[in-house]
Amino acid sequence: MDDRINGYAKGFLELARAEGSLESVESELFSIAETLESSPELRSALTDPQLPNDKKTAIVDDLLGGKASSLTVGLVHLLVDQDRASELPSIARALVEIAAASRDRAVAEIRSAVPLDDQTIERLAAALGKATGKKLEVKAVVDESVVGGIVARVGDTVIDGSVAGRFQSLRNAVQSR
Amino acid sequence: MDLFAQILTFAAEEAEEGGGGGLDLLLPPLNELIAGIIAFAIVFFFVWRWAVPAFNRMLEQRQKAIAGQLSEAEKAKQEAESLLADYRAQLADAKAEGNRIIEDARATAEQMRAEVIAKAEADAEQILAKARQEAETEKDRALSEARKEVGNISVDLASQIVGESLDASAHQALVNRYLAELEKM
Repeated sequence: MDDRINGYAKGFLELARAEGSLESVESELFSIAETLESSPELRSALTDPQLPNDKKTAIVDDLLGGKASSLTVGLVHLLVDQDRASELPSIARALVEIAAASRDRAVAEIRSAVPLDDQTIERLAAALGKATGKKLEVKAVVDESVVGGIVARVGDTVIDGSVAGRFQSLRNAVQSR
Repeated sequence: MDLFAQILTFAAEEAEEGGGGGLDLLLPPLNELIAGIIAFAIVFFFVWRWAVPAFNRMLEQRQKAIAGQLSEAEKAKQEAESLLADYRAQLADAKAEGNRIIEDARATAEQMRAEVIAKAEADAEQILAKARQEAETEKDRALSEARKEVGNISVDLASQIVGESLDASAHQALVNRYLAELEKM
């Protein structure tokens, strides 16, 4: 499965690079993946085996019409036609990581409850780069389930400074009593 | 005595009157006397020779028969007594046996009763202990379940309240604190 995800990711990367729109495809796929992960209805609609594929592609067109490049939309269509919509987030993440690695960088995914301003993102990138010892490309994601604060993930390393994380450890403490 | 004296007197008077033979009146003539004696002797001989022994024999037989009957009766009595004694002894044995059996049965019944009671008590105790333990376990489980549930609800509520009460400056403060901690690493 990892092989398949990496295969798709590398294929998409090469296509985007050949079209000269790697950066936009990367960020568009990443935000589509975020939307898909934060919306269970959309996810179940796109992965519903009962729903015909042309309905699913119609949903994708509705969602992305005019907001994303035609290449990105085509790639998403391809995934829906292959019944791989459920793997889109993993593929997008792998694509971003492989692209960053090809630039000799790692991806830092920063989740916050509210949008962050550019200055804060730069400071976070610098601090995370110092803490992990890697050159980083930052992908900022707004995720209300964080509640407050920030969760940063670099590769397998997670630095959780979120209110949700505090509450989770509180919940664990209460349950283990 | 008076009659005999009168007879003697009369005879004496007769003798005196008859002259010669006063006593002759009383005594039979000699030939009669001899015939009488012979006849008597014959009769006596017959009697002595056959009648008496026959009589004696009969008497003896009777005596023997009576003695035999007596001894039989004695024997029967003894047998009866010994039988009676046997019966009495058997009766006493039977009574004792009966008592012993009753006593045994009573003892067995008592023992069984005690065993049944003891077993029932032990069973009841065991059931009670098990029920108690189950109740305790169930209570603990319910308590820990309730504690978890209350904890979850509390944390969910707290999370919701905190999330709603966070304004832009609070968010910024949280981000700044995260940054400050990150920059110290």
